[in-house]
Amino acid sequence: MTVLAPTTAEETRPPGAPAPGRPRRGGRAPLAALLLAGPFALLLLGTVLVPIGYALYLSLFTERLSGLGFDGPHDVFVWLGNYADVLGDGAFRDSVGNVAGYALVHVPLMLGIALVLALLLDSATVRLRQVWSLAVFLPYVVPGVIAGLIWAYLYSPNIGPLQDLLPWDPLGGNGVLPSLVTITTWQWTGYNMIIFYTALRTVPRDVLEAARVDGAGPLRTAWSVKVPTIRPTIFVALVFTVIGSLQLFTEPLVLRSFTGSVTSTWTPSLYVYEEAFISNDYGRAAAASMLLALASALLSALVMRLSARRSR
Amino acid sequence: MAPHTDWSRRAFLRAASGSAALAAGGATLLSGCSSRTTASGATRVRIWSWMTGMDKYVAAFNAAQREVHVELSVIAAGLSGGYAQQTNAIRAHNAPDILHVEYQGLIQLLATGGLRELTEDLADLAEGYTPAAWQGVRPDGRTWAVPMDFAPMAFYYRKDLFDEHGIEVPRTWEEFRHTAEAVRQAAPGSRLTTFPLNDGSFFAGMSWGAGDPWWRIEGDTWLVDVAGEGTLRTAAYWQDLISAGLVQSAGTGTQDWISSIHSGRLWGLLGASWSVGTLKKSIPDDTGRWAIATMPVWDASAPANGVQGGTAFGISEESEVAEAALTFLRWLSTDPEVVRVGSEFTSPFPAWLPSREVAREVVPGDWFVGDPVYDVLDEAAARVPDWTWGPTSLGLFATLSDAFAEVTTGGTTLPDAVRRVQSSAVSDMRDRGLSVREGSPA
Repeated sequence: MTVLAPTTAEETRPPGAPAPGRPRRGGRAPLAALLLAGPFALLLLGTVLVPIGYALYLSLFTERLSGLGFDGPHDVFVWLGNYADVLGDGAFRDSVGNVAGYALVHVPLMLGIALVLALLLDSATVRLRQVWSLAVFLPYVVPGVIAGLIWAYLYSPNIGPLQDLLPWDPLGGNGVLPSLVTITTWQWTGYNMIIFYTALRTVPRDVLEAARVDGAGPLRTAWSVKVPTIRPTIFVALVFTVIGSLQLFTEPLVLRSFTGSVTSTWTPSLYVYEEAFISNDYGRAAAASMLLALASALLSALVMRLSARRSR
Repeated sequence: MAPHTDWSRRAFLRAASGSAALAAGGATLLSGCSSRTTASGATRVRIWSWMTGMDKYVAAFNAAQREVHVELSVIAAGLSGGYAQQTNAIRAHNAPDILHVEYQGLIQLLATGGLRELTEDLADLAEGYTPAAWQGVRPDGRTWAVPMDFAPMAFYYRKDLFDEHGIEVPRTWEEFRHTAEAVRQAAPGSRLTTFPLNDGSFFAGMSWGAGDPWWRIEGDTWLVDVAGEGTLRTAAYWQDLISAGLVQSAGTGTQDWISSIHSGRLWGLLGASWSVGTLKKSIPDDTGRWAIATMPVWDASAPANGVQGGTAFGISEESEVAEAALTFLRWLSTDPEVVRVGSEFTSPFPAWLPSREVAREVVPGDWFVGDPVYDVLDEAAARVPDWTWGPTSLGLFATLSDAFAEVTTGGTTLPDAVRRVQSSAVSDMRDRGLSVREGSPA
């Protein structure tokens, strides 16, 4: 990032001159390129671009009934009406507030624990390294729904022990947020620890030795040498976690059948689900999805931007 | 480089023609699947359903005759995805011939325009059904679905514990409160029942028993009255019981609930006809403890009993084999064989009255004590007052349980929540372009 990109031949060649090293081949080379890029382009088109385009299209329409509604709906073009409805809907704003609160606790907590564990694992003092890393990684292997159920039972009064042990009511109105953070932190810490640990293995040993020769202790080495070296990895993990937090869905959906405190629109993803599949309001669901995607994109861009500035 | 490109072009063409052939073959295969007759000449009827044991009913029907061959696809239950799947199929014009509707979801499915009117086809059956079930499939005087079972609510209680402590079975809601106090006095860690705040359809059933329908049809207009006198009375009553700590407010059907009814932390259940099966399945070893009674009533001189759930089946507007689909549904709804098949794995409570007599005979009644189950349910079914579901009822259940979420923390009260739900129900319906008027009939 600190090095300027070398100027390419492309930019220095006089305008109009043929590009060197790229002889014309009467359309055959483009065909080969097309053939090679084809599968990817088709998949991208079919599974990403067309669905996004269709969601965008859907988000501009709404279904209108008339009278008693028994004659079936007809589609009406409403410009950005659905977007205005979603943004004006208190339930949607609450759901954004919920995931924001969730992310504020979950992201630093989970990444912090993962980083500390990875550093411990990387320091020579830990024995049984593989057993230890497997044990921490194991929750990630448990599917989200199963994890949600396990924890919901642990939280349930009369069945699980946690209701009596925790300082908060895990299924009560104010308790579901920390309860959810606990579930997802349990799930994702191991995964991120492995990523950090793998990155830590690539820190050059001579640099570490140099640090030791300079008199740095293990803590100092970890903080001033190891962490700065794997900073790009940390930021990538940060981006994924932030996006994952925004899209929080499975765990609250499972908890919903155990407590009414997780409302049907508790996260933006649940809001979309409720609008589409329970209220049958596809236009509004599509609009909310587009807003969610936009927010994810903006947040990721912001995090990447920050990371670029930091590592300079 | 050039020969390779040539080769790949030929290969590309070959591959392209190959996949085209494959696609054509696939299309033939697909159209073969959706052909209207089977190899043996029977008319093929597709049904989507999430009803427990539907595979057994279908197998029995297919074995009994040769004209119609029913093919079942089991879909996710109602609000867990079943309605979404059916609604999507209707929109995409590939709905199955028979759709699973519940009375409470019928109007919402009707608003997709995907159901066939059955008024003429079913006119001869009118007299045979429990009146409330028949009205449930005829919201506007036209018939839109074939009733299957009916689900009047009922009060289940621990007869052994009631007898032991000399507690009478409550007949009115006023008595019910005293009963709740008596239970708490007899066993301070126990409660009479739970009022599941996370279940909107339960609250709807309780309000149904109070006699103020949430929706009415007046000409071409919906009359919406979620916060009517009866509903507010119900809400205030339960708010009082919850605040006084006389009942629990957690959900039913969970592991916690099962452990509570088994260990005696809960002495009763406000359920529906299908709770007979739920209880037998959840606590199979607790034979001889539980009894059933009709729901407590507000006015002993005019007893009313709510309903929670109940299944009916509709025929797709675009079905090309509507006649055959109807043949199956008439069999499913009225044939005594269905009850015999059903009694092997559940306790059916058919909407078709003659079938109910069969059920009384064939369903084993050794689990419950006290009054015979079918006598009580018959009485409950006969007490069901008028009710009409609305075009947003399924969404309203979610709105209700969301609004009730803060009741446990004291953030709101049931009557306040109900008033909020009324205004959001009205604005939701207006947003959809429906003609809506607020309040009770003039």
